[in-house]
Amino acid sequence: MIVFEDVTKIYDPNVVGLQDFSCHIAKGEFVFLVGPSGSGKSTLIKLITRELRPDKGRILVAGRNLETLKDSKVPLLRRNIGCVFQDFKLLPNKTVYENVAYALEVVGEPRRSIRRKVPEILSLVGLADKMDSYPHEISGGEQQRVSVARAFVNHPPLLLADEPTGNIDPETAIGIMQLLVRINRTGTTVLVATHDREMVNRMRRRVLQLENGRLVRDERRGGYDHPGEANGEEA
Amino acid sequence: MRLGFFLSEALGSMRRNWVMAMAAIVTVFISMAILGAVLVTRDNLNRGITSLKNRVLIEVFIKDEVNADPQQLQELERKIQAIPEVKSYRDISEEEALQRFRERFGDRIVDNLPINPLPASFEIRVKDADQVDRVARLFFDDPRVDNDPGTHNGVKYARETVRKMLGTINLVGWVMWGATIIFGIAAVLLISTTVRLSIFARRREVEIMRLVGATNWFIRWPFVLEGFITGIVGAVLAALFVWLGNWALARWIEGSSIDFLHLRVYDLWWQGGAWPAGLLPTLVVIGGVLGAAGSAVALRRYLRA
Repeated sequence: MIVFEDVTKIYDPNVVGLQDFSCHIAKGEFVFLVGPSGSGKSTLIKLITRELRPDKGRILVAGRNLETLKDSKVPLLRRNIGCVFQDFKLLPNKTVYENVAYALEVVGEPRRSIRRKVPEILSLVGLADKMDSYPHEISGGEQQRVSVARAFVNHPPLLLADEPTGNIDPETAIGIMQLLVRINRTGTTVLVATHDREMVNRMRRRVLQLENGRLVRDERRGGYDHPGEANGEEA
Repeated sequence: MRLGFFLSEALGSMRRNWVMAMAAIVTVFISMAILGAVLVTRDNLNRGITSLKNRVLIEVFIKDEVNADPQQLQELERKIQAIPEVKSYRDISEEEALQRFRERFGDRIVDNLPINPLPASFEIRVKDADQVDRVARLFFDDPRVDNDPGTHNGVKYARETVRKMLGTINLVGWVMWGATIIFGIAAVLLISTTVRLSIFARRREVEIMRLVGATNWFIRWPFVLEGFITGIVGAVLAALFVWLGNWALARWIEGSSIDFLHLRVYDLWWQGGAWPAGLLPTLVVIGGVLGAAGSAVALRRYLRA
């Protein structure tokens, strides 16, 4: 699904975003991306959606080579990637329903199927009764679920989440994470960048750890920390 | 293209950001009103110039003895007829000359005159004001013309006036073109600045649209439509405003002492001439195109891949 080959991204003037990064994420995997702030997690995600282009190396996403992908095809790439962000990125002047519907309008989905799919996905994330609310009228956790619904309403083969639980309380965070797991079970590849140590340790999924833009660990059923320096808090 | 969706997006965003929308409409209104005023002024000036040019005439006064002799008079008339630059001419009899004098200076003076001192004359109009001088010269040394010895005072025409008038007319024409261009550029800048401000306020929206995979044109359409609507609304208001102003001014001048200006009301819808479209079609087309293009251009920096 995602292939990075020796990818380097340097920001001006001399800040390393990502350094000689290689990895392979298979279809249907659930992967955590961990590391301190500034270690390159967001850079990695932006490279996948081609908000950024690498200085060196090759990136393949769903069989597309991002280097040779035409600018005009970038929207098509993004329609195959659902994105969830720490700050939700909802349109403030659209209702919950309209926010989710927008992702379908963009793809040219017929009105009738929009009217069917949006309530369906909203009840899946447990927001069937908040359809006509505006983002500022609902809680952070609810906003994040709207954002997950929007990311998944197209059933994209790939879902990226950048600190999805960063702005919400731990209780609610579990709900969001369970949602992502359920999405993963439908066959969607899920990549989650996170700081949430407890979450990563509890889930025991593949972990990619970044430090200063370099991949320092790739563990199949890992915890947040290196096995050697594990601090014993694991559940 | 899903016009319904884009239209409702555009209208919805105008309703939500109505302060910005109003500001943009007012900007378009001001720019278009200035442009419309220039248009109307230029049109009226052109007409004034044409009517002034037509009024330039040459008066050729006839010696009394020539006037008394039908054959000599006819020869003079034939000479006038033979000049190709002459558009029309009229003979003014002594009586008619006196009548005109009476109209201009009142009965009292005329009634006190023992005889009619005024000579008969021909009034000649030329096809183009530029030709006045050349035609007038043809009569300078004509023996039938009532010249005082050694002068050409039997031929009267506004020589200096014509020259100055032509110079002024040309200058005014250039100034008007200059004004049209400058105000046109000002309108473009004002509109594009306003649009850029309103898009800057919504750059997050654009970012999210891109994020969910909207194509550039999908993002652009509502903004372009919004600019288009803004441009049209502003232009319609401006057209009505300028037209009403023009109409009121024309009415006022008609009733005042400077009515020789013959101010004309520029047609709102349609009129003839070099620029056949009336105020409304002209300004609406310009406003709509400027608004739409302004939006598209202002969006460009946010739509780079």
